[in-house]
Order: sequence, then structure tokens, then C-alpha cells
Amino acid sequence: MTNVTINPITRLEGHGKIEIFLNNEGNVENVYFQVPELRGFEKFCEGRPVEEMPDITSRICGVCPEAHHMASTKALDAVFHVDPPPAAKKLRELFYNAFYVADHTTHFYILAGPDFVMGPNAPKAERNILGVIGKVGRDVGASVIKHRSDAMDVVAMIGGRRIHPTCGLPGGVSKPISETERARIEEIAKSEIEFAKFTLKLFDDLVLGNKEYANLIRSDIYTTQTYYMGLVDDQNRVNFYDGEVRVVDPQGNEFAKYSAAEYQQHLSEHVEPWTYLKYPYLKKVGWKGLVGGKDSGVYRATPLSRLNVAEGMATPLAQVEYKRMYETLGGKPVHATLATHWARLVELLYAAERMHELSREPEITSQNVRTIPTATPDEGVGIVEAPRGTLTHHYQTDEKGLVKKVNLIVGTTNNHAAISISIKQAAQGLIKKGNVSEGLLNMVEMAFRAYDPCFGCATHTLPGQMPLEVNIYNRQRMLLQSLRRP
Amino acid sequence: MKILVLGIGNPIMGDDGVGIHVARMVKDRFRSQADLEVKELGVGGLKLVEEILGHEEVYIVDSYATQDIEPGRIREFSPDRFEDTLHASSPHGTNFVTALELYRELEPQRIPEKIRIFTIDIKADYSFGESMSAPVREAASKLAELLATEIQQASAQRKV
Repeated sequence: MTNVTINPITRLEGHGKIEIFLNNEGNVENVYFQVPELRGFEKFCEGRPVEEMPDITSRICGVCPEAHHMASTKALDAVFHVDPPPAAKKLRELFYNAFYVADHTTHFYILAGPDFVMGPNAPKAERNILGVIGKVGRDVGASVIKHRSDAMDVVAMIGGRRIHPTCGLPGGVSKPISETERARIEEIAKSEIEFAKFTLKLFDDLVLGNKEYANLIRSDIYTTQTYYMGLVDDQNRVNFYDGEVRVVDPQGNEFAKYSAAEYQQHLSEHVEPWTYLKYPYLKKVGWKGLVGGKDSGVYRATPLSRLNVAEGMATPLAQVEYKRMYETLGGKPVHATLATHWARLVELLYAAERMHELSREPEITSQNVRTIPTATPDEGVGIVEAPRGTLTHHYQTDEKGLVKKVNLIVGTTNNHAAISISIKQAAQGLIKKGNVSEGLLNMVEMAFRAYDPCFGCATHTLPGQMPLEVNIYNRQRMLLQSLRRP
Repeated sequence: MKILVLGIGNPIMGDDGVGIHVARMVKDRFRSQADLEVKELGVGGLKLVEEILGHEEVYIVDSYATQDIEPGRIREFSPDRFEDTLHASSPHGTNFVTALELYRELEPQRIPEKIRIFTIDIKADYSFGESMSAPVREAASKLAELLATEIQQASAQRKV
């Protein structure tokens, strides 16, 4: 019984594709997740002065230029063998946490919010921020954009521009902040803390308080066991800007801990012929295919991963929320992919508290914000946590500082394998006997959206969004159904 | 600022950066006009809308790439023509149209009176480079001229 419904889809370049293959019973046999080909980023960078990289890479993605800028700047520190003064590191971290506040706020209310607040089966036209505001009220909507805007003001104050920051230099930052600016940042940070607390309460009431969603979070179709990765400070607490990379196994035990320069001892990249994106995996476990579990080198780097690898949060209110999340979900590590949205809110609170802490450090207004490099440049790695996962920039230069080689592992690329596994799991759980509804397809996509994937970054190009095509085929490879997500 | 010209694109992705090149050409034509601001951005969705708030007249320039394109063809749109767009969308924000509606709902007084969107057709081949192909480059000059005339007229009308 092959019911062929073909919607004429104009084949756009730059489409992401989810291809679902059904077996004879109409159940899901295989799922392939593909991103189209991109050419020449490395070539483009070759021969350029390496100091251009924070600007070039911040154009990879219009969503998180700050993350690339910061990873790139840290890579420059390493390439030039220079250590920034303490005030510079604090300014960078302050800038970076302000960016996190803006980004995580936006994500919850605009991307995740619609799924949870409106419900996965709500009509498409309502599943967006306007629907959310309709439900939670205009005042909340106004508060969302105000807090986002305030956080971006802090980014602009330190970064030099609201979009595409320019403050990062090898050995420091381009300018200090004044006492007036510092006071304003402190004031904004206080307000952000309150707003983060409010958002967590909203999540509690609307999501956890709703039995249907609470069950959804815990359900098997959205639960995948993998290794987890994230940056931690010297007390194994979450830090977005600096630290060592820590990896824990599916039981939560430490598997590896390494500094930026050592990343290639721990990670390899697997290539499949049918997709451009590579699959990073843990070398010491090995590549066993698109499967989870302790014997597979597949790992995840997401907000949930960061909380899973850490032993706590470095700020008091976030620490309370961290404990509450794990108590509610039955201990560490948590494998429920949808819990990523909750983890993101714990991080939001941490970022706001950290902003506040840093704004009150006496050194933060110091004029000494740069150490001029003197060593000959050669090679260096910079790692930060991008909102979407661990971000690695690795540059090699000649002795004049001209780029010879570039390697980037971006947030979403870490998760490429896990995304495929999660989509397949959800699809297998939801698509039975050939029955596929729009609502079901949206639930498959929820698995995918929890990773907040950025294909702009993963393919080193704008935009962050790729329209997604979901195609379902029967055993004979005839197209049964085709749906597009703009 | 009364008039805003906003060029959108990725300046390191060849023709995709055409919006930015047009913005730069317009800027060169109007070196010291007090009521005109020219910006270049590589963003979409919410960030894009936030950049246009508070201006009275906005001209957005971007590339256009779908199935049926003629490289170098110039098109004009108003925001209500879009259900969704590739480059002006972002899952981490929202698409341009929804973002506009959001601000219309929450901060209506800051929405520009006039938003005109101009695009130049490109072939999206996703490769890196800093220069444009010939047809796109020619179209960019033509569009910059067109915008310059429009802006001069609009500016003159304001002074009346």
C-alpha cells in the first residue's frame, strides 16, 4: 500500500534534510540527517593575518558572533603565547555572560517557549512568540525584549558594537570600562537576576506543573544515553568563558579532562559519504556508528551536558536551581533531551549572577587591559562554551602570523551524531504503521530543536537557520510524504 | 535618524554580501547627510528588526536566492510579502515578519512608517570570497543609484 503524496518542493540549496525510511510494516527503520555542502572556509582564511580571525569568524553566524569572537580571541592568546592581564579576562567573561543572558532569554521565550507554552499540537500559526505573549501576557512580552535589550547594551559597552563585537585582541581587550559603565552594568545585572528567577518560575508553573509536559520530558522517546562534555573551572563548576574540558560517561563518571591544546588527543572526526557535516567522537571510546551508550564515542555538548559534567554551579541561586533540577529528574546525569530547556534556564540564572559578581570586582575598571605579545606566533587553540555547545578554534600560522591552517569544531557539530540518534528515536516512537500527522512531525522536530542547532555555524555560513525538509520514504524508496519547515 | 539604509549579507560569502556592498556605495554618495544613517549587518530575525526601530524610513538591501532567479535582477518587496525568508530568519530569534509583528505589538511607536526591501538575485553556491560576480556587481551599482535618487527625493520632501 504505497500512498504517494508528493508536494512540489522547490529544491533550495542550503536545505537541511531529515530523511525517514519506513520498513514494510510502516515503522521507522532509518533516519538520516543531512546538511548541504559548503566550500572553502579554510582556503579563504589561508594567508590572512591571524588577527583578522575574530572578525572573520564572528561573521560565520549572525546569531552567536560573540561566541566565535571569544573563542577566536583566546586562540590568538595561544598563538601569540601571551597571557592577558586579570582585568582583561574579567571583562571578557563579563561581556560573555551578558551575551549568554541575551541569548538564553531569547531562546526560551522565542524558540523553546512556543513548544511548551503553546503545546506541541497547537496550530503552527500560534507556535511562536506572539502566541506565547497571548498566553503569558503583554507585560511579560515587554519584559522579555527589555531584558534582552539591556543585556545587549552590556555587550555593546564592552564589545564596541551591539552586533559583531570588536573588543578581542591577543593579550587582552581593546578598552577598559568607566565607573559609569560599570555602575550601569551592575544595575542591569540585578534586574537580569530577577528576570531569570521569574522565568524559572514560569517554567515551573507552565511546564513542570503540567503533567502532560512533565511526562513528555521524562518519556523514552526523548531519552538518549551518551557521554557529555562541557567546560569547568578548577572546582568542576560550569564556566562559559574558560577552564578545562571535562567529559563524563553515561553513568556520570569522569572520563576525560583536558586543556584546549590537548583536544586532538581526545577527539576525532568521522566522515559519512551522504552528509557534509562531520561527526566528532571520543577517540578513546571509538566510533561505533549512530548509537548511544557507554561503548559508543558519541557525546553531547549542550546546556544539559554542561550541567551533567559539572559538580555544581558557581553562583548561589543557580546552585539551588541546579540541585532542584536533578532532584526532580531523579539524579545525575540526566539523559532526557528535553530537559535541556530547563538546564538552559539554570544557566541563564548563573549568567546573570556571574554578570553581577564580575561587575562588582574592584579590578573591573582597571586601565590595564592588554599585554602586548612579543613571542613569534605559531599555533594555538581557544575553547569556550557557545550556548549550543563547546566551541573550539584551532589556528596554525607561519612565523609572520599569517594563517596556514584553521580547524573549527562548533557547538552544533559536537552534537551532529546525537541529533541524528535523537531524531531517529523520536521518529521510531511516534511514526507507526505509516501514520504521520503534522503534530507527530512536530514532536519529531522537538527532539531536534532541543539542541538549538545552528547550521550557520556548523557549515561556517549565515544564516543560522536552514529550512528543513522532512521526507518520508517507504521500503521501495518511494516518497510518501514531504513536509517543509521554514 | 530619519532615514536608514541597511545592507544585509555575509561579506565573506561572495554574492551573498551584495546588500552590504550596496550599502557601502550609498554611504559613499551621501557623505554628510544629517538625516541618513547607513548600516551593514549579518543578522536576521529579531536582531534585524531591533536595528530598524526608531527610524522613519528604512531601506533594506539583501540578496535573493530561490529556484527561479536571474543573477543581477533587482526586486522590491514590502514586509507583508514575506511569509518567511532564508536569510532573514533565525530559529534563535524568530523570522523577520514575526519579529516585526512582535514589536508592532509591544513597541508600536518605534516601528518605521515606511519599510522598503530591495533585493538582488544571486546564485547561492555557498562558497567563500570577498568579491561579487559581474552581473551582481553591476546590479549593485544600479541599485545604489536608484536608492540614492529615492533618498534624495525623500529627503527633499521632508524639508518641504
